[in-house]
Amino acid sequence: MAVQAPTPSKPGGLSGTLALIWDLMTTSDHKKVGLIYLVTSFVMFGVAGLMAVAIRWQLAGPDGRFLVGDAYNQMLTLHGATMLFFFIIPAGLSGFGNFILPLMLGERDVALPRINAFAVWLFLFSAILIYTSLFFGGAPDVGWTFYWPFSASRPGHGVDFFMLGVLLLGISSLLGSANFAATVYNLRAKGMSLWKMPIFVWSIFATSLLSLFALAGITAASLLVFIDRKLGFSPFNAAIGGDPVLFQQFFWFYSHPAVYIMLLPYLGIAAEVASTFARKPVFGYRFMVFAQLGIAVVGFLVWAHHMFTVGESLLFQLVFVFFTALVAVPTGVKIFSLLGTLWRGHLDMRTPLLFVLGFLFNFLLGGITGVMLAVVPFDYSVHDTYFVVGHFHNVLMAGSGFLAFAGLYYWWPKITGRMYSERWGKLHFWLFLVGYLLTFLPQYVLGFLGMPRRYYTYPDGNYLWNEMNLISTIGAITLALGGIAWLIGVIDSFRRNQKAGDNPWGGFTLEWATSSPPPSYNFAVNFPRFFASERPLYDWNKEGLETTPVDVRDIHLPAPTVWPFMTALGLLIMGVGMAISPNAHPSGLSGVAGWQGWLAVGLITFIYSLFRWAGKLEYDVPVEHHTVTNKSNAWVGMAWFIVSEIALFGILIAGYLYLRLSGAAQPPEERPAIWLALLNTFFLVASSFTVHYAHHDLRSRKMSPLRFGLLISILLGTVFFLFQAYEFVAFRGHVDPAEQLWATMFFIIVGLHGAHVVIGGTGLALAYYQAIQKKLDDHNHGTLEGASMYWHLVDAVWLFIVSIFYIW
Amino acid sequence: MLRGSIVLWVALLLGLALGQDTRVVNILDPSTSYNREVGRLLVWVMAFAVLIFGVVTGALTYTVVKFRKRGNEQGEPPQFHGNDRLEILWTIIPTLIIVIIFGLTAQSMIANAKLPAGAMTVKVTGYQFWWDYEYEGLGIRNSNELILPVGKPVIVEITSKDIIHSWWPASLVGKQDAIPGVTTRLHFTPEKEGIYYGQCAELCGASHANMRFRVIVVSQEAFDRFVRGAQNYRAPEPQDALTRQGQGLFQQNCAACHAVKGTAAQGVIGPDLSYFGNRTTVGSGLWENTDTYLIPWIKNSPGVKPGSKMPPFAQLSDDDAKAIAAYIKSLRIEGLDFQGLPQF
Repeated sequence: MAVQAPTPSKPGGLSGTLALIWDLMTTSDHKKVGLIYLVTSFVMFGVAGLMAVAIRWQLAGPDGRFLVGDAYNQMLTLHGATMLFFFIIPAGLSGFGNFILPLMLGERDVALPRINAFAVWLFLFSAILIYTSLFFGGAPDVGWTFYWPFSASRPGHGVDFFMLGVLLLGISSLLGSANFAATVYNLRAKGMSLWKMPIFVWSIFATSLLSLFALAGITAASLLVFIDRKLGFSPFNAAIGGDPVLFQQFFWFYSHPAVYIMLLPYLGIAAEVASTFARKPVFGYRFMVFAQLGIAVVGFLVWAHHMFTVGESLLFQLVFVFFTALVAVPTGVKIFSLLGTLWRGHLDMRTPLLFVLGFLFNFLLGGITGVMLAVVPFDYSVHDTYFVVGHFHNVLMAGSGFLAFAGLYYWWPKITGRMYSERWGKLHFWLFLVGYLLTFLPQYVLGFLGMPRRYYTYPDGNYLWNEMNLISTIGAITLALGGIAWLIGVIDSFRRNQKAGDNPWGGFTLEWATSSPPPSYNFAVNFPRFFASERPLYDWNKEGLETTPVDVRDIHLPAPTVWPFMTALGLLIMGVGMAISPNAHPSGLSGVAGWQGWLAVGLITFIYSLFRWAGKLEYDVPVEHHTVTNKSNAWVGMAWFIVSEIALFGILIAGYLYLRLSGAAQPPEERPAIWLALLNTFFLVASSFTVHYAHHDLRSRKMSPLRFGLLISILLGTVFFLFQAYEFVAFRGHVDPAEQLWATMFFIIVGLHGAHVVIGGTGLALAYYQAIQKKLDDHNHGTLEGASMYWHLVDAVWLFIVSIFYIW
Repeated sequence: MLRGSIVLWVALLLGLALGQDTRVVNILDPSTSYNREVGRLLVWVMAFAVLIFGVVTGALTYTVVKFRKRGNEQGEPPQFHGNDRLEILWTIIPTLIIVIIFGLTAQSMIANAKLPAGAMTVKVTGYQFWWDYEYEGLGIRNSNELILPVGKPVIVEITSKDIIHSWWPASLVGKQDAIPGVTTRLHFTPEKEGIYYGQCAELCGASHANMRFRVIVVSQEAFDRFVRGAQNYRAPEPQDALTRQGQGLFQQNCAACHAVKGTAAQGVIGPDLSYFGNRTTVGSGLWENTDTYLIPWIKNSPGVKPGSKMPPFAQLSDDDAKAIAAYIKSLRIEGLDFQGLPQF
């Protein structure tokens, strides 16, 4: 069947809104996936923005009574977590990334479209999961930073929901990032080399790498808080020799690089917008790319600047001062290059460009105050004050946030097929700029005047506190008016319904080489293979090169399936069950009745959907995939995903080594038996061989040895798991991980590996299921390929664990 | 518009500075060498900041004014792809500035890492939501208000007994976190007598904003009087019926958590109230130490301070609370008077 677009299956002849929803639930089209990200993020921006107004309302005058104590803390936590996790990270990276990146590469989709659909639903469900806490006794109130032991001590299940939400979001984010990395590696228009990719593609690529390397930090932090709350042991517990500061090391290992995850995609947008509206190429393309990669690398070496006040050694602090200040250099290069791009251009002052200009001004302020914060003696004074609040809103809100809107206006015609009204757009911009400055400039002053952040109240009578806070609140209201102008602009655009042409701005990159909005197959043409620069449309126009039409009937797209959605839904339901199960910390927090039901229903939905998903072929017809690297998309995607798994074990093992080498974690007298570990090693290594041979059998099409090999591997994995479970129970019988730090680390790291054995085993089981369903062939072996790579990883990690926990 | 807001601000600052008599909390208050050092570093940083800000906003403004499309442009603008020299220049210059700032910062940090000679040491412990102080070597404990002698270096050792807090007297010195199981250090020399406003700077729960304190810097002579008075302290015997009634009620209701030196009350869960009569504030730096605030506080602490660990005492009548207030206000070291000290 040759299809030009997969016609959405409409059971029972659904129509209207229901049909639309069904279409979204079953789609794997990167544009629809991108749209779900975009709509969710911008709606979340509105929600979190209203929370910000509520916060400012409380602080408009001294001794406010509007949001007091815990209520205020819930509000500030949700405001921060929502803005960061559900607006600024996904809008640029996942939203515009998904919609625009494959178009810019001249491709039909991302490398792994169904994984992409799963990731977007997991993203949405993680937001829903965190907000579900409102129905179970209240939202988390520990700040988005959820510092231990504060987070472990909070009554109610709010923090449990929050931790699980963060974990699910992490999985979604990793799958999304691995997908982007694989897409950039494998899928580019013929002739487009890495150095001819648009800056935006580079920025998504750099951001994805950052995500893959760094995300482990927050996974470790949230997982350990969750384990402490549910099981009652923690490597941070100072009472047994643990280190509370270790939590912050884990947390900021992600959360600082995350700042660049929140920035880099937007810098890409800024470059595209500047180039288009100045009618010029970007200035210093290679320098921009290097600066971007430089930010990504140096961004890894600055995390501890969030922790200058925890009493680390002088040398430790000095190293982080240096890199923190240094990261200003590549960031500066980006700013200067953007100015260079505008220089001598014909600046078309439309809304997207206005937001870029507003960004440049505000980001400069944020950058300068950032360098100020690197001056440690000054940081001791203003750390955790409104100076810091001013600084990070300067870079995130008037920085990345402005560029999110630049991107929204810039690609609005492409995404919706409609023009927007410049009048409303410009009003939106000016209200945002004025509102922004009114809100946050006074906060710098408040920092100098000693007002700490995260205060729900302040007393009357501190010099200028009342006045500055009042101005700040007026600014927040101005911002809200700007938000209203934006909404009106959106409604106006839909009502006027003024159709956009293919390329209303005269853009230079490939997303403008198709209709607005693009058809499901993106392009019905073959592009010239000539790429002289990152501006193919400009170059082809100069050279007089034309595209050649393609018969749309020869285009194949993935078949729609609802199972990625259902799989993610299963995880959401399981998440609720886990969150409301009984806690060990704080003591006496019992579970909500029926939690077992949630867990069971979720688990069944998850497993069932996963197998149904595996049982459905990606394409209805056999399709040959041409990839740039000649490696399959599954292989490249899994390779990038494995980076994140190595990082996760790496960061936890680093924590263990630190505790062990500093003498805090000493093995107990009676340790888990080494003979059992060695026996288990034999099982696991043997299973790696059987998987390898099974994979080999597929290539030589020996299906029955293949099935046998897979089955043996799964059985070996099961034996391993059972032995380990036995060992855990036996060891737990005489050592309490809540009392013994070495045992804490043992149960966490070895247990996490055990969880990976289960995940890997499930992967193998999926491949086995495909084999017996005859769904495994030359064209469809992604599951087997991914699962076997993953299984080798599980094996390799085990060898590490044996040496550091059993032998050492 | 920016200029407009700056003008507005300057007017506000001047008007308010001249017109009001309030406490000025100021991280650059030149009352300690620490703050002066921060000020000195900031002068350098600000000089570079102004330079860079000026150049970039200048270039930005020029670009917008000069290159905005006016509709009469012909053809396309020059299609240059970059300029390597310029790129190297704007990599190297910021790097140099960064190296200078790093050098200054490092120098200052290394100097600050040296602990002063002849300093006294105070141990600070954070609790939800109050502070405890122990003077090392003097055998004195006090809560929420730290009394220090002027001109003498002090080392503050900070830790916590529950979750993470951060101890910060803004006009005196920077902050350090109070972390369970970890001791962090600060040192400074207060050079100006006065009552300094202090706060918790790490989110720690419902009353994070209400975890304040005071550092009261007094003359050496007054400090010596405080030390002698505290070391030889015996809670004064009640002088009237109300105070006596308060003493009884205190022993019944409060002694499990609060200590009063020289009495049976030896609780360590809550603040030490031995010299409560000398306190300028109540509720951990929240309110003036008067019956207006003290009585509601005694009767229903969580009602006036969210999340306060001190349970409400519904069984106490107004008169009971008044009696307790009278009793704890009678607990004082004579000859100490903080009235009239300036506030910072």
